[in-house]
Amino acid sequence: MDHRIDQGVDHGMDHGVDHSAVSLTADDIRSLVRPDHVHRRAYADEAVFQLEQERIFGRLWIYVAHESQLKKPGDFIRTRLAHHEILVTRHNDGRIYVLQNRCPHRGARLCMVDQGSSRLFSCPYHAWVFRPDGSLSTVPHRKSYPDSFSVDDPQHHMMRIDKVESYRGFVFATLNPDPEPLAAQLGPMTDIIDNLVDRAPDGEVEIADSSFTLEYRGNWKLHLENAADVFHPSFVHSSSVGPARRAPANASILDSDQTREMLMANGFSVDDWERIQLTGLAGGHTFMTNIYTAGALVNDDTDPVAARYKAALAARLGAERAASVLGMNRFNNIIYPNLVLNAQHQQMRVTIPVAVDRTIVRVHCFRLKGAPDEMFHRAVRFLSTLGSPASMIFSDDVEMLERCQQGMAQNGGRDGEMWVDFSRGFDADRHAKSGEVSGAASEMPMRNQFRAWVDYMTAETA
Amino acid sequence: MMLDHDTRRKIESFLFAEARLLDAGDFEGWLDLYKPQGIYWMPSQPGQTDPLNVASIIYEDHAILSIRVQRLLEARALVLTPMPKTTHVLGNIEATDSGTDGITVEAAFICVEHRAENQKLYSGRHTYQLVPDDDSFRIKMKRVDLVGTGGAHTPMSILL
Repeated sequence: MDHRIDQGVDHGMDHGVDHSAVSLTADDIRSLVRPDHVHRRAYADEAVFQLEQERIFGRLWIYVAHESQLKKPGDFIRTRLAHHEILVTRHNDGRIYVLQNRCPHRGARLCMVDQGSSRLFSCPYHAWVFRPDGSLSTVPHRKSYPDSFSVDDPQHHMMRIDKVESYRGFVFATLNPDPEPLAAQLGPMTDIIDNLVDRAPDGEVEIADSSFTLEYRGNWKLHLENAADVFHPSFVHSSSVGPARRAPANASILDSDQTREMLMANGFSVDDWERIQLTGLAGGHTFMTNIYTAGALVNDDTDPVAARYKAALAARLGAERAASVLGMNRFNNIIYPNLVLNAQHQQMRVTIPVAVDRTIVRVHCFRLKGAPDEMFHRAVRFLSTLGSPASMIFSDDVEMLERCQQGMAQNGGRDGEMWVDFSRGFDADRHAKSGEVSGAASEMPMRNQFRAWVDYMTAETA
Repeated sequence: MMLDHDTRRKIESFLFAEARLLDAGDFEGWLDLYKPQGIYWMPSQPGQTDPLNVASIIYEDHAILSIRVQRLLEARALVLTPMPKTTHVLGNIEATDSGTDGITVEAAFICVEHRAENQKLYSGRHTYQLVPDDDSFRIKMKRVDLVGTGGAHTPMSILL
C-alpha cells in the first residue's frame, strides 16, 4: 500500500470472539435498570456488551469521520463501527464510502494505519488490489482463477457498509439496513452541530490534524456518564484546582493563562452548581449550560482576538445573528450513543467501545475557517489541557472510570447484587418543553441515558 | 563545536542529577533546574515542529509546570495514589555547543514506572537546550520525543 503514514495504532481489535451468540431477553435487560439504579452487570457482563454492539452500535447511526479528513480522492481514515474495523474513504467520484478493513480473498486485515491517502488498497498476501470504493481493480495471474471469476463480482469486493450519511460535514454510518433518517436520530442535537459550523466565519470547520487517542480499562458508558457529570470535578480534580488557584495569574508566557483558568474552572462552587442547568432529551442526548462564565474561554469584548473573530463572524452573518450563534453557551453536548461536542471551544470526543471493560476515546478539535489563527491555537491548547494523556484533568477522570470498572467486575456473594446509585436529584427533575431539566447536582443525565439504553436494547427489530 | 572533556562530564552529571531528583520525587528541586522562562515540551507527533497548531502531550513553561509540580506533591491526586515509583535511565549522551543557544544535548532514555500492581515502560529521546549557570547549567528547553507517539495512550502521571 502506497500511502502517507500519519499514525499507527492497533486501536483494539477484539481478537477471536464470536459475536453471534446473545441470549439475553428484553426482560433480562429491563431487570437491570430501575428508575434510579442500574445493576453492575450493565457495565461488567460480556453478554450485555455483545447485545450493545448489536442493538446500539450495530443499529444506530454512528459517527465515523469528518469530511475535512477526506479532502481528496484516496484520503481515508480507519476506525470502528460496532465489531467491525472500517475504512472511511473518498472515492475517485468524490463520494464517501465505508468499507470493512478486510480482504475478501483470505480475510486478512488490509490497512494498518489510522489515516492516510492511497488511490489503491493492496493486500500484501496475494496482491488483490482494491479501489477506494472497495471494488476489486486487479488480481495477479488472472488466468489461474476460474473462468467464472470476475473482478466485477461484488463478492470479491471489500465489504461495503451501504448506509452512509453526512450532516454538515459529520459523516455517520449504520449497519442497520432500514434505519430511521439520521436527522431524526440526532433530533434537536443537530442544533449543536449547526452551532459549531455556524461559528466559522467562512461557514465551514476543519478537524485538526492532531488528536489524542486514549484507552482505558473500563466500560464505554462510564465515559459518557462522566462527561455528563458536573458533580465530580470538585472532588476528582481538586488536586489540580488547588495548585492552579494558588498560582499567580498571568505568569505563563505561553498561553495567556488559559491552562490555569481551565484547571480552576474544574473547581465548581455551590453557586456554580446552582447556576448550571442540565438538559436531557429523548434518545439519550444530554447537555449542560453555563459552565465557563469568566476568563480566557469566554471571548469577552476586552480580548482583542475575540474582538477580531466576532467582527469576522458579524461580517458574514450580521451582528444580530452572530451574537445569537455566539450566545449558545452549552457544554458537553452528548449525542447518544458516543459523541461529545463542545461547539464554543471547538472540541469533540468520540467514545469507541472495544470490549466490555475496554474503551477508546478519541479527542479532537476543529479549526473555524475564516477565524483568527489564535482562535485555533486556543482550541489546540484546550485539546492538550483536557484531552492529552498527561492532562491534569482527564488522567484523574480515567483513574475513576477504571476504579468503577474494577469494583463492578467483582462478582461474588453480595457483590453479585451490586446496584449503581443514580438517585441524586431524582425528586427534583422538571419536565420542560425543551426536555427534562435539572440542576447541576442531579444524576438526571445518567437516568436519561439509561432510559434510551433500555429502549434500544429491548427493541426486537430495528 | 566540540566540547572539552570536563564540560561533557559536567553535562552528564547534570542530567544524572535531574534523573535522580525525579526518581526521588523531589519535583520542586527538579523544577529549580529550569530557567524562569524554561519550557518542557512533549510533542504528540514524531518530528513535530509546531506547538501552536499541533497539539502536544505537554507544552508548558515554568509557570504551568509549577502547577503540575504542586499537583504531584498534593496527596490527593487520584492518579498518584498510590504514588508511582520511577527509574529514569539516560544514555547515548551527545552534546554540542550551539553558540548563542547554549549547549544542545541529546540523550536516549528509558523510564520504568511502577504503580500499584502495574508496570509501564517509556522510552524515547531527550533534547535539551542548556545554558551555563555558575558552575552548572539551567534548562532553557527540554524536549521529550516518546517512541510511540501517535498511537493509543494510557494516562501519564509521571514526568520524563
